[in-house]
Amino acid sequence: MLRYIGRRILIAIPTLIIVSVLVFALQKLLPGDPVLTMAGEERDPQVLAYLREKYRLDDPIPVQYFAWISSALTGNLGISLRTDIPVLDLIMSKLPVTIELAIMAMIVALAIGIPTGIISAVKKGTTVDYTANVIALSGLSIPNFWLGIMLIMLISVRWKLLPASGYVPPTEDLWLNIKTMLMPAFVLGTGLAASLMRHTRSAMLGVMRSDYIRTARAKGLLSRKVILKHALRNALVPIVTLSTLLFGELLAGAVLTEQIFTIPGFGKLIVDAVFNRDYAVVQGVVLCTAVGFIFMNLLADVLYVLVNPRLRHAA
Amino acid sequence: MGHEAVRQPITEAHTPQTIATSAQPLLNVQGLSVRFDGAPKGVNVVDDVSFSVSKGKTLCIVGESGCGKSVTSLALMGLLPTPPARIVGGSAMFDGQDLLTLTERERADLRGDRMAMIFQEPMTSLNPAFTIGDQIAEGIVRHRRVSKAEAMERALDMLKKVRIPAPEKRLRAYPHEMSGGMRQRVMIAMALANDPQLLIADEPTTALDVTIQAQILTLIRRLQEETGTAMILITHDLGVVAEVADEVAVMYAGRVVESGPVEAIFEDPQHPYTIGLMGSVPSLGRRQGRLATIRGTVPPAELMPKGCRFTPRCPFADTRCANDPPPLAEIKPGHRARCWYAPLEIHRGAAS
Repeated sequence: MLRYIGRRILIAIPTLIIVSVLVFALQKLLPGDPVLTMAGEERDPQVLAYLREKYRLDDPIPVQYFAWISSALTGNLGISLRTDIPVLDLIMSKLPVTIELAIMAMIVALAIGIPTGIISAVKKGTTVDYTANVIALSGLSIPNFWLGIMLIMLISVRWKLLPASGYVPPTEDLWLNIKTMLMPAFVLGTGLAASLMRHTRSAMLGVMRSDYIRTARAKGLLSRKVILKHALRNALVPIVTLSTLLFGELLAGAVLTEQIFTIPGFGKLIVDAVFNRDYAVVQGVVLCTAVGFIFMNLLADVLYVLVNPRLRHAA
Repeated sequence: MGHEAVRQPITEAHTPQTIATSAQPLLNVQGLSVRFDGAPKGVNVVDDVSFSVSKGKTLCIVGESGCGKSVTSLALMGLLPTPPARIVGGSAMFDGQDLLTLTERERADLRGDRMAMIFQEPMTSLNPAFTIGDQIAEGIVRHRRVSKAEAMERALDMLKKVRIPAPEKRLRAYPHEMSGGMRQRVMIAMALANDPQLLIADEPTTALDVTIQAQILTLIRRLQEETGTAMILITHDLGVVAEVADEVAVMYAGRVVESGPVEAIFEDPQHPYTIGLMGSVPSLGRRQGRLATIRGTVPPAELMPKGCRFTPRCPFADTRCANDPPPLAEIKPGHRARCWYAPLEIHRGAAS
């Protein structure tokens, strides 16, 4: 198992290198000059030259890349061109917010998606199944931002049940924290719930036709046990992998959701950084996201083996 | 008309009646009919099937693939997917109660306890996600008031009984770590774990290597003798039938065409299909020309004749055969054939 994980990590290294080059190159290809942005109104050539010197923007691009990547490897992602705060500190202060949002959204997605998927598969071809499918399809088709705005209008503005925006750290007030995160997590989670539901349904339908389900029934096991033990356990194999990969998708969805609910998270950080041409921050954030993605893929591979005994020995 | 005395229809369609035999059979199936949704009207995959099995005896159901053997056994176990399958007639008295009228819960209580089944595909019949021990033990826990640990003990005993090497180790193994033969042994252990009164084995050796087939068959046979379990063995292998059967029911296109004691079927087959079946068994003896075959194939459902379903392939068939379904009539005590012209030597002596 450890060897398998080790091998997976080794495979991740070239991916990381490619990602870092791409991130860096994209930055350089983007139009706009960060120095001009920083200098603001006064375009004194001396100031501009000083800034270029300070941030080493005049060095050849490969030199800049190696300078950046070697300090990145030591945990130094540079300093925000805009705020003079180290990029790593910025990321570390925003990341927990987004992770909290992503985890809560994932819980929402799993709690809705898997049970409805199972019910829909078991009741295949009935009204229950069709209803679930229609709701899932709507869940997939309704854009996050629209659902978010509607929820804010209804729940926050009209019924005044939950706060419309903002963020309170859980260390400060856990209850208020949950209240502020509830709507964003729901908005972010529903789209995933829909795709989880569809996948659970088809995985369950496939498994329910297996010979070993017939064997389980031949033993006299009751439907509940046949479905929840014998079928679900096997249907979960693809679902676990999918959920881990969806986690990456969550990060992307978080950018939009954080904008709607003005949550000071990772997504907001990157949007602001792009608008401000804060190269160092954009690079840092994208690199972090890429690492996160690769990590989730690694996790998916490992979980896949864990839930699938047939692969444990091969691993 | 002298032959009317010989022929006594035992069953009319859908009117079950118990045959008085010396011992009350453990399972008595009368007029069982199963229909698949979407099949042409009046064409049942299993049509008016009757047979019985006594305690400790073996009934072999023989016939080519697609003749309804498996559907019959799944219907008895209550494992047919409904829909599309529907049981449209008949009764199956098992130890005094009609299986076909029980609720799903009552049937589940019987399954794996008093009646058990072994399937054709050992490679896919075990759940890949759970250990062998777990899968055997859960069937025991389901029907017996025992702890998980006691059930595991029993599972271990069963693995020893089916002669699996290193049973302690195998208890914790997953199905993918075992060969087809070993998995079928596990299936047998699972089926027999609660000492069922009736074991249904649906072509248990078909998917296995020839060398393993004999081992598995001997094992089933031995365990059956030890436990006194009645068995329905479904097979298309007449060699197997000759070896293990007490009674035989030959099925063709969803109907039992001939049934009786194994000696009677082999020594004096009466239905043209059975005779054809016997002719197509290769033997190691002196070869006499080509291996006999039954010409043609089983007609598809939409072309199924109204009368005897063997009509298009039967050398003796006439218009009566094509239009009137013959009853399963007793031609000798215990020996029944579904043919207007059985016994053949009387009716067609000159022709054959």
